[in-house]
Amino acid sequence: MPPDAPATLVAPAAATASAPEPLVHVRGLNVRFVSREATVHAVNGVDFDLAQNEALCILGESGSGKSVTLRALMRLNPPKKTVMSGTLRVGGQDVVAAPESAMADLRGRVVSMIFQEPMTALDPVFTIGRQIAETILRHEGTSRAEADRRALELLELVQIPSARRRLAAYPHELSGGLRQRAMIAIALSCRPKLLLADEPTTALDATVQIQILLLLRRLQQELGMGVIFVTHDLGVAGEVADRIAVMYAGRFIEEGPVGALMRGPLHPYARGLMGATVHAGLRGQRLTTIPGAPPDLRDPPRGCAFAPRCPLVGEDCLPAVPALRSPLPGRQVRCLRVEDAA
Amino acid sequence: MASPQALLSRPMPDLGGPAQPLLSVRGLTKHFPLKGGLLNRARGSVQAVDDVSFDLRKGETLGIVGESGCGKSTTSRLIMALMQPTAGEVIFDGQSVGPGGLTLKEYRRQVQMVFQDSYASLNPRLTIEESIAFAPQVHGLPRRPAVERAQELMAAVGLEPAQFARRYPHELSGGQRQRINIARALALRPRLIILDEPVSALDKSVEAQVLNLLMDLKEQYGLTYLFISHDLNVVHYVSDRVLVMYLGRVAEFGPVDALYEKPAHPYTAALLASRPSMDPERRRSEPPLSGDPPNPVNPPSGCRFRTRCALAEAVCAGTVPPLAEAGPGHRAACLVHAPGSGHSKATAHAA
Repeated sequence: MPPDAPATLVAPAAATASAPEPLVHVRGLNVRFVSREATVHAVNGVDFDLAQNEALCILGESGSGKSVTLRALMRLNPPKKTVMSGTLRVGGQDVVAAPESAMADLRGRVVSMIFQEPMTALDPVFTIGRQIAETILRHEGTSRAEADRRALELLELVQIPSARRRLAAYPHELSGGLRQRAMIAIALSCRPKLLLADEPTTALDATVQIQILLLLRRLQQELGMGVIFVTHDLGVAGEVADRIAVMYAGRFIEEGPVGALMRGPLHPYARGLMGATVHAGLRGQRLTTIPGAPPDLRDPPRGCAFAPRCPLVGEDCLPAVPALRSPLPGRQVRCLRVEDAA
Repeated sequence: MASPQALLSRPMPDLGGPAQPLLSVRGLTKHFPLKGGLLNRARGSVQAVDDVSFDLRKGETLGIVGESGCGKSTTSRLIMALMQPTAGEVIFDGQSVGPGGLTLKEYRRQVQMVFQDSYASLNPRLTIEESIAFAPQVHGLPRRPAVERAQELMAAVGLEPAQFARRYPHELSGGQRQRINIARALALRPRLIILDEPVSALDKSVEAQVLNLLMDLKEQYGLTYLFISHDLNVVHYVSDRVLVMYLGRVAEFGPVDALYEKPAHPYTAALLASRPSMDPERRRSEPPLSGDPPNPVNPPSGCRFRTRCALAEAVCAGTVPPLAEAGPGHRAACLVHAPGSGHSKATAHAA
């Protein structure tokens, strides 16, 4: 067992979980992509716990490391280029150093993932029913007939109309919304404890997006899964999450319960992001923007990564990365300027 | 005869006065034939745009919203004359476009376009200065003043010419590239800019920067915008009037505040209700619509929305709903708003 990080970093949600080990336990996670030209520091010390039946949303812009963090939980980042360190356990099992055979058992059975683009994630030459049954056969060793029966159940669970007929459909024969439902059915086929979702509704139309979000929320509650959602869309986070973590330059810079965080973000970046999100009632006003661009992760800054764009920056922000601290109960933020509650 | 340099230094003059629409679209229709089978015979057609008409006033921003496949991008390409319409016409400031009217070169001097994919719309082998200076040179401006104009426009979109002029598109971020596309669209001093999902591929913080820039440039250069987006919040923010499309037809058309506060078409209402609430305490429990938009190859008869509409009745299958009055300057293609249409709710709303 690798040694744990200091107790001050433990997320508050861990205390309420009855199990001794949370579903997901991450401490000091670093992910670097190494090539001959450069080393990209994609994830730089991420700590969090996720309880059974909890939905966490990782919110960030492109290049913030949110998808890399998610993929690290299943060890899906390209194996030859990726260097992972820190502690990462899912359902009590180590992910950082486990042999590939153990990972193959873990993927699908304990943790599974749905992706943004169902057309590229599904296999175009097999029917939907075949792709679901394949997962069940691999992990549970049931009979073919039993796997087919379960596949039908799953399509009904994700509310695909005329499910029996759709089992024999190929991915290209389905609409975007149905394809995304089929991918959710595959992900759920072996009753995973943890479902990872990487921008699952970004490619969908507005009227279909809300259907998929409501479906995911209902499934999470009915099946009692932990869910980690990655999105760049604050509205999506508000619709499905229990907690939100805001990511910037490979770190969680703020984390807290969804309602409190959306009402009053603490970190200057989180505040800027919410101010820059266009919503009703802004008509006629100038949008607030965040000047500049995120840092180059081939050469990350020594201090606070947001300092060059921050309106509150001071000398003390530059020498070292601010620690994650808790200025309010249940909230965590990585900023020196946020005042502690009295 | 003025030199090209003088001609290109300011926009073309206003011909019809402020009351004449800058752009009139009349019965615009585009059907893409579907071919297949043994002899590659036509097997029907995709009705991408079907009888779309609207006026664009001088100086306004008209937003077009709709889901994928509703025909909003095809409409923009038809207006830009990037494809031939099956039927219908486009009239620019009183002049028709095509034979007997404005030539394409004259028309495109006054109408320019910005696309969603900022990388694909720039030539990767030209520096950004060359990209911006390209069109003015095609229109007869000598190289030196064209380059000067490119540098002035780079400054206008917030990119330091000394730093960026010699770079290639792949050396810029998505937000910077979209600024270059906007600068290039401005290079001929156009009067109308068609913006097709200009911020959809950008991160939220960059999106806000580009939207602010677009609003500033509109003021500075006296532009008219046709703003196409699937993002209802962005369209609400930028538009004066909004056109909602569904499966190739206009569903609703009206002033932005009236349309967002009291949507008249059931589809608009559902689309607005599908937006995430931004308040975790007021989450929805039921989706406003079920299913996906139908395939435009075989659209439903009568009202194309009837297969997903909560108010649909038998009459909706047989009658194509006309654009009926729903308020001042506000029209909806729904039989509920058409007096005497036979819909059970129609008389109640007819007053």
